[in-house]
Amino acid sequence: MSDNILNYSLADFHYNDNPDVLSPPDDFNEWINNPRVKQSFSFFEQELLDAPRVSTEILSNIDGKKRNIINLTSYNYLGLSTHPEVIQAAVDAVQKYGLSSSGAPLLSGTLDIHTELASKIAAFKQKDDCLLYSSGFGGNVGAIQGIMRKGDYIVLDEKCHRSLVDGGTLSGAKMLFFAHNDMESLQMMLEKCKGKRVLVVVEGVYSMDGDLAKMPEIVEICEKYKAGIYIDEAHSTLMFGKNGRGVAEHFDVEDKVGITFGTMSKSFGGVGGFVCANEALIKYLKGYSSPWNFSCAPSPAVSGGLIKALEVATRDSSLRDKMWENTNFMKKSLLDMNLDLGDTESQVIPIIIGSSGEKLMKYAAGMQTRGLFLQPVDFPAVPAHARRFRMSVSSQLTQAEMDETLNIINDVIVKDQKS
Amino acid sequence: MTKEKIIEVISKNIIENLDDLENETIDPKKSMKDYGANSLDMIEVVSCSMRELNIKVPRAELADIETIDQLADKFLAFSEA
Repeated sequence: MSDNILNYSLADFHYNDNPDVLSPPDDFNEWINNPRVKQSFSFFEQELLDAPRVSTEILSNIDGKKRNIINLTSYNYLGLSTHPEVIQAAVDAVQKYGLSSSGAPLLSGTLDIHTELASKIAAFKQKDDCLLYSSGFGGNVGAIQGIMRKGDYIVLDEKCHRSLVDGGTLSGAKMLFFAHNDMESLQMMLEKCKGKRVLVVVEGVYSMDGDLAKMPEIVEICEKYKAGIYIDEAHSTLMFGKNGRGVAEHFDVEDKVGITFGTMSKSFGGVGGFVCANEALIKYLKGYSSPWNFSCAPSPAVSGGLIKALEVATRDSSLRDKMWENTNFMKKSLLDMNLDLGDTESQVIPIIIGSSGEKLMKYAAGMQTRGLFLQPVDFPAVPAHARRFRMSVSSQLTQAEMDETLNIINDVIVKDQKS
Repeated sequence: MTKEKIIEVISKNIIENLDDLENETIDPKKSMKDYGANSLDMIEVVSCSMRELNIKVPRAELADIETIDQLADKFLAFSEA
């Protein structure tokens, strides 16, 4: 392994045949402690020393220095996690209810602010009812696991998030993956499960590529095969559609989507997840969705803050308008620099570097040293030939910060690629 | 290790890990997808086969492989390295 150590990745150590069950595989230890691998891993778990705003401070693992940075990695798309009204609402809630809900929602954990938040989210998403989860990941796992059973079929876009796949595995249903946004492939998979209970699972905005699910075509095909639709709008809620309801609203197909999922940790600026659907299905999920009925209800501070975050984001369109203005400027400027942005249509902008993991890490270090926090995304999270940076554009970005970002990217990436 | 042996191991793991293949003969010119494998099934088949053959090929080097025959060639190259 030592002669091609950088060709290995986390994908290669999942199986463990170490006779000592309390130890990782022997070759994993050899790999992870190799100085070159250690250097790649040094980009992970770097400490932010201030709020995850665009302008923040990092304790850099590269050289151990504290550094002011432009942060384009956090998902704080609308800046709501530090919005003064949201913070005040969270403070008010923590003062009234304390730190914890102190129980699962079914028994004692449901507070009046949970019911208020769930009903406001359901109304916003134009569905009957809503289930709140303490974790976004848990929400996807819990909804899929709660609805699907052995003998059923789940047909997922191959780029769906791990939480959706894990939910599918846990459900015992058979999972079929269709080629990303490829309608012929979707149809082929649906042919294979004709006559079965089938749920088609897609994402509004795909998190590594920033492109959108082709909802009009997906809806048409699913209607033909009588398959239900589940859309994960983690990266699109509060940003897409005339009213910010997401990609389903953007394509005017909301009434055709049976289940809509969202996360509270991205545009909402909090943490947790939600699932909206018809009243009967939500009632059923409460009995069978383990991450809901066996997990403590969301914290009062977060729930109180989220009620305000929803209000701030939807009382007018100013935050998402600003986010789109920034996104359009950044996208145009990066394209003018001849960078490969894949097929992005959203505020998630990949900058695709290619197959060289070494270049990816070199650029990441170079940008961070110059004051730009843009995290590398390596295989196996993305294909080995398309390693990348993933930029999250926020409404908080100022023109000066965008100009500086582009200068750094030009100096570190574009000039190196030309040389 | 011969290529025939490698194909035999891969084929056995395909049959063991996928549904409804008990009486099938695996054609190496086909891909695992042709036998109904999804990406999780393929990881399982590749992992089981590598353990059985006592080799370790980085996943990053398997991305462009399409057929069972190509996978066997890759395994063979690593077993001889």
